[in-house]
Amino acid sequence: MSTATTSAPETRRTPAGRAIEMAARGHRSLPVLIVLAIIWTVFYSQSPAYLSFQNITNLTLQIATTAILALGVVFVLLVGEIDLSSAVLSGVCAAIAAGLAVNSGLALPLAIAVAIAAGMAITLVEALVITFGVPSLIVTLGGMVILQGLILVVLPPEFTVSVAGTSFAKIAGTAIPAGAGYVLAAMGTLVFAAYRFVQYRERMSTGTRTSPVAVVVPSVLVAVVLFGGVFTLTRQRGLPMPVLIVAVMLLIAWYFTTQTRYGIHLYAVGGDREAAQRAGVPVRRMVIYSFLILGACAAIAGMVDASRQLGVSVTSGAGPLMLNAIAAAVVGGTSLFGGRGSIWSAILGALVIGSISNGVQLLGLTTEVQYFATGSVLIIAVAVDVVLTRGSLWPGRRR
Amino acid sequence: MSLLELTKISKHFGGVRALHEVDLAVDPGEVVALIGDNGAGKSTLVKIVSGVESPDTGEIRVRGESARLVSPRAAAEAGIRTVFQDLSLCDNLDAVQNLFLGQEKYGPMWSGRRIRRHVMEEHAHRILESLSVKLRSLSTPVVALSGGQRQGIAICRALISDPAVVILDEPTAALGVSQRAEVLDLIHRLRDQGRGVVVISHDMKDVRQVADRVVVLRLGTRVAEFRRGEYTPSDLVGAMTGAHEGDEL
Repeated sequence: MSTATTSAPETRRTPAGRAIEMAARGHRSLPVLIVLAIIWTVFYSQSPAYLSFQNITNLTLQIATTAILALGVVFVLLVGEIDLSSAVLSGVCAAIAAGLAVNSGLALPLAIAVAIAAGMAITLVEALVITFGVPSLIVTLGGMVILQGLILVVLPPEFTVSVAGTSFAKIAGTAIPAGAGYVLAAMGTLVFAAYRFVQYRERMSTGTRTSPVAVVVPSVLVAVVLFGGVFTLTRQRGLPMPVLIVAVMLLIAWYFTTQTRYGIHLYAVGGDREAAQRAGVPVRRMVIYSFLILGACAAIAGMVDASRQLGVSVTSGAGPLMLNAIAAAVVGGTSLFGGRGSIWSAILGALVIGSISNGVQLLGLTTEVQYFATGSVLIIAVAVDVVLTRGSLWPGRRR
Repeated sequence: MSLLELTKISKHFGGVRALHEVDLAVDPGEVVALIGDNGAGKSTLVKIVSGVESPDTGEIRVRGESARLVSPRAAAEAGIRTVFQDLSLCDNLDAVQNLFLGQEKYGPMWSGRRIRRHVMEEHAHRILESLSVKLRSLSTPVVALSGGQRQGIAICRALISDPAVVILDEPTAALGVSQRAEVLDLIHRLRDQGRGVVVISHDMKDVRQVADRVVVLRLGTRVAEFRRGEYTPSDLVGAMTGAHEGDEL
């Protein structure tokens, strides 16, 4: 800022303290990027096939479900709540969609819409109970058990729906041709550059300090990421549909969390509920919105997963999916205490967890190694979060 | 006509009587100090006027018209802004986001109510500068700012919507000498702008310095009222404690 910024007296800080403060501000993605680089280096040194185009494409397909679910979990964590039921919910929604599309012959878009609506309806009920005053941990724990019962009701008597060879399988099976992928990357870059340019013009109009560098450098970075991503992922058959789904969902989530009034209110509720309430933020409504978004994400995650596994069964959404999604959000830098983190933590965290399990399988290591590594990364990530929230390395001190 | 007029406000929490038939009026360009011992009902009264709590019985009139302050937003729309003692800032948000929280400037529906950050920054700038609140950066989370800076942001926030009545809950409690003087100066400026100001304070020196009228609460009832220059500190303490002799001083 140009005026009113005479340097305020600063307290003396140790280098560690300064680094913590820096990380606690906008650079929360940095630790997870470093962790990711370490994981990739370690596995690549063991097996060069790890960073082959084919394996990277496999990796993105493997993490798509976790990333989509984690995105929903991030919204719930940001308002200071938690959810344990969305993985099973994703199974329920997949069962509904597959049942309607395959067994009842409903048009696929309609079946998808019904499944998303069902997911949102179920999380709406959970959210209403939570805003009534029951802790979200309990509501969603109970919800998880209830949904495990519900999936048995929704599935046909043989408890499986196979979607092999149907239009449903095409959700995950479609590969977008490389040419179309590059067009999408170009469009994405253009939209981003145009957006930064609009911001630049706005800031100029009010005399706020800015520079064309703020348009060019990020745009070039986005172009590198998009074109590099499309190049890498189209070496095999073309751009996998789940990757596009994740990208579009991230884009929408980024816009609403960082550029709109909704986003500010979301973070305000997570930061200090009472302060937000007093400022006139509709706290309960924001909590309900977060759970509705989670419901939609769970439904989409479930359908992508079912489409990739070519079927739905009682084990859909069971297993480590729920904990992986929460772990992904937290490893990516979203605080369990609310108000801190970003939607990027969903994809980054899912990448970390997916990279570990992918590498372990590739090297033929035993499953326990995967569990040890994933668990350790999760604990370290939360420890980092504690340090950043507290502002000091040591217990009992605050900034 | 009074800007704000409370008539026979009562409030119970369970079996506890927090307020009993309290009357209070605030005129334009007037500073009313509200004092009382702990548990006298000051905070409850503030919460009622700012829309956080609803009174059990009684009437609230804003500019002569009956108002139902059912939410903080309703109170703000009626032209009443409150600066709470705990400042009610969201630590994880930056100065601009805190200043405009709940009253953001945003774009049309089709843009998803996109915030107009540049307009907000410019406005934030003017308001912070008018009260000479100095910040290193408008985009630092307020958790990293000093107590005085946070107080400055909290007071500036109350002024963003140009309210008729500003309520300050213990505005000088956590401040150093020079910052305290600044805040008292600001209270005078608010009054000179024709706003009604209610100051809740423990500090008799502050009260004597800024208040045109002093209203004393004790155990949820209004026990006394003094005009500027018509009281001594011992009158205030006597009314607050119920020991009318004021021997303690």
